[in-house]
Amino acid sequence: MAYSDKVVDHFNNPRNMGSFKKDEDDVGTGIVGAPECGDVMKLQIKVQDETIVDAKFKTFGCGSAIASSSLATEWLKGKTLEEAQKIKNTDIVQELNLPPVKIHCSVLAEDAIKAALNDYKKKAEEKK
Amino acid sequence: MTMDGTQKTPMKRSELQMARSMCWHCQSEITGEYFCEQCVKVQPLSKEMDYFTCLGLPRLLNIDLGALEAKFYELSRTFHPDFYQRKTESEQSISLGNSAMLNTAYRTLKDPIQRAEYLLRLEAGSAKDIRTSPPADLFEEILTLQEDLEAYRSASDQNPAAVARLRDKLTTDRELLEQRQREMDRRLFELFTRWDALHSRQSRTDPASPDFQKDATAVLKEMREILSNRTYLRNIVNDLTATTA
Repeated sequence: MAYSDKVVDHFNNPRNMGSFKKDEDDVGTGIVGAPECGDVMKLQIKVQDETIVDAKFKTFGCGSAIASSSLATEWLKGKTLEEAQKIKNTDIVQELNLPPVKIHCSVLAEDAIKAALNDYKKKAEEKK
Repeated sequence: MTMDGTQKTPMKRSELQMARSMCWHCQSEITGEYFCEQCVKVQPLSKEMDYFTCLGLPRLLNIDLGALEAKFYELSRTFHPDFYQRKTESEQSISLGNSAMLNTAYRTLKDPIQRAEYLLRLEAGSAKDIRTSPPADLFEEILTLQEDLEAYRSASDQNPAAVARLRDKLTTDRELLEQRQREMDRRLFELFTRWDALHSRQSRTDPASPDFQKDATAVLKEMREILSNRTYLRNIVNDLTATTA
């Protein structure tokens, strides 16, 4: 099995790798893992007025998991929280041309997005 | 040409499957285990059959590896494609299918971790809510360790004393993790024994009793948790070993 060009590109030039300070009010953090392969993914969003102004990730896992989270951060930037909620793992599969055995990597990225959004919303609720 | 002189087109595997309780060849009811007693044709193993049943074992986690191997060799001889080269295409296809399933069953049950993962999949239907919550603390810990590892990888040009300190820290971290792995495995094998005890108690008493279900779910859930965490730990330990070795 060979990785698609897009996966290789994201793997070699990951976009938005890094992290924000977890405890800041405008940051939402999602940390998820895949028990099948042991991959761990951290995805963070920075939010201003219900819009994601920046996103970062750190993923320790296979090429597809890194590419999925790298792509996810690219897509998240500029989206409203509501739009971000609608990103589906199948969109990632399509864009990266992931083979069936790597679909769980895209599921992981979707889970990470959801977790980051929930974390931010929870923080925003508590502030009110 | 078949034995009764009629030309038969080879049957598709799905058709062979459906005819399980009936011989796919002579349509008589099957009384023998792997062969039809009427026409002596080999019969396909049912896809629904679980690996324990396939290899003649009870659904336990501490298994007799000698018995497993003996049964595997016996069935391998029974189904091996080499012995079916001069038979019909349908029989060759059954021999191939049965051998493939047998090999997967043996490989899965031989390894204790794969055996436990397989049992969890089998039992997932009866014991609901086996999914456990993600181990948030462990994730945090792994991310921190991975960051330390990255620092070490890119620190080669710094002063040797600092690099050595980082290396010592990572080695200590690895040793502590390996200790936890051993502890996890010990706990896992305890759970194996508990499952087996529950299982034999179940066959003596009422299997549907709520007490049994509760105990079984608790054991399976803890097993699921350990098996998942074990994978995360294994990955980080491998990374640590590869980098600091």
